[in-house]
Amino acid sequence: MHGNVKLSVENVGKVFGAKGKPVEALRDVSFTVAKNELCVLLGPSGCGKSTLLNIVAGLLEPSSGRMLLDGAEIRGPARERGMVFQGYTSFPWLSVFENVEYGMKLNGVPKKVRAERAEKFLDLVHLTRFRDAYPKNLSGGMKQRVAIARTLANEPEILLMDEPFGALDAETRWHMQEMLLDIVDSTQTTILLVTHDIQEAIFLADHIVFLSAHPGRLKTVLDLEFKKGKALRSKEELIQTDGYLECEQQIISMMRSEAGNALESI
Amino acid sequence: MPEPRPHMTSPSGAPRRRKRVFEFKSDISAGWRILLGVSVWVVFFALWQFVTWLELTPAILFPEPGKVVQALYVLFTENGFHKDVLISIKRVLISFALASAVAVPLGVLMGSFRTVEAFFSPLVSAWRYLPAPSFIPLLLMWFGAGEGEKLALLFIGVIWFLITLIADHTKAISADLINTSVTLGGSRWQVLRTVVVPAALPNIIVAMRQMLAVSWTYLVIAEITAADAGIGAMMMRAKRFLHVDQIMAGILVIGVLGLAFDYLLRLLHRTAFPYLEKET
Repeated sequence: MHGNVKLSVENVGKVFGAKGKPVEALRDVSFTVAKNELCVLLGPSGCGKSTLLNIVAGLLEPSSGRMLLDGAEIRGPARERGMVFQGYTSFPWLSVFENVEYGMKLNGVPKKVRAERAEKFLDLVHLTRFRDAYPKNLSGGMKQRVAIARTLANEPEILLMDEPFGALDAETRWHMQEMLLDIVDSTQTTILLVTHDIQEAIFLADHIVFLSAHPGRLKTVLDLEFKKGKALRSKEELIQTDGYLECEQQIISMMRSEAGNALESI
Repeated sequence: MPEPRPHMTSPSGAPRRRKRVFEFKSDISAGWRILLGVSVWVVFFALWQFVTWLELTPAILFPEPGKVVQALYVLFTENGFHKDVLISIKRVLISFALASAVAVPLGVLMGSFRTVEAFFSPLVSAWRYLPAPSFIPLLLMWFGAGEGEKLALLFIGVIWFLITLIADHTKAISADLINTSVTLGGSRWQVLRTVVVPAALPNIIVAMRQMLAVSWTYLVIAEITAADAGIGAMMMRAKRFLHVDQIMAGILVIGVLGLAFDYLLRLLHRTAFPYLEKET
């Protein structure tokens, strides 16, 4: 099993020093993400899931514990840990194609290779037709697809996604979720995704790391046994699968008990 | 789609909702906008003409519009006024280029790095509150009444605000854009060059447009205090000979030049940043 571990989070804690009164955001969180797995970080607001993702990205430093990617300790941001943010991050002054090319250009990928790879990932996110458009002419869903293509084209070891579909309307959101699963099938990518949308978590995840709030601690890891051996690629299929409702119910009640605690501490 | 006129009816024959003249935030057609924009000047000159007809003040102190236009013609054809205008334009452009050459990089760095900001900000803030004209006596002693004095006044009149505006615009860049580049493997220099500068550039041009207008103000102050050439100098010469029409013509030229430069920078903004949602 050990050789299969891509990301390993070991006893990570994070304390923000807010004006004399330190706030503990994460306490002693440990879990692993296997190679080519889609792991979802789920939990109520205030559970520190975005903080945790930012630490993996190297944008924040842990106060205690460490994180290993392929056995090497994570220090600072790097290309191997590409991130897709909730807000739209397409560079408005670059065309769709140039946006996708951007990361590769930073890393000195030769022009020809860049163009080939950009075309490939544009095709994967169904944006070939819009390659020369500027982001201002794109919908929110398209902008997120640009961000996904841009990050994947840069060939990261792990793709980090911070509520990537949180700003989209419900319909666009499940189209995007289905597209993401198609991408996972065709590219063999390891993904760590943060969400607070329960259905999204169940639909996308190979396993769910559930955090409790104030401070963020590991509550449980859900293996989603009911999905094992089934390739569920649409929302309808998911909802009709035996065990789905029980799973959703279980998570909702965990959320509710956590929310109760959270309300007291607001 | 053309704007529906109040008297028009829809294809179904039913009367449309009457479009009122004053509607909050409602757009108006281009033709209507131009018509209104021209009318304000027509009203202005008509009022001016009317007041001169009343002969409340001697015509020599308050000439009618026609006289001013005539003076303008004479200035350009007989008095070599174009030389003054060119000198004034040159002073504005050179001093503004110098101020920008310092303010743009410094402002971008201050907006990007808190350490740079913490170092320069106390100095910049203090200078911002010192009125540039208060340095005129000093500048006259250092540079004499030559070009150096004028360029220096325009430079210190503009640079502190320019730095502040550019630093603020740079600071306002979304952290997500910067973090995107960083997580794609961007180095500090790459982020500065490929994210911070292009993201701030449209607003930097806006800030320059605003401060260029201020630059014209200081130009006139510099030229009426001590100069033998330039638009302001011509106006002071005209004052000596009671040529009020020439003074007014000078003001007119300054106004037109200011508008022209503003328009040029607007045009630059529109053509250089076609990707922006809308013009600021």
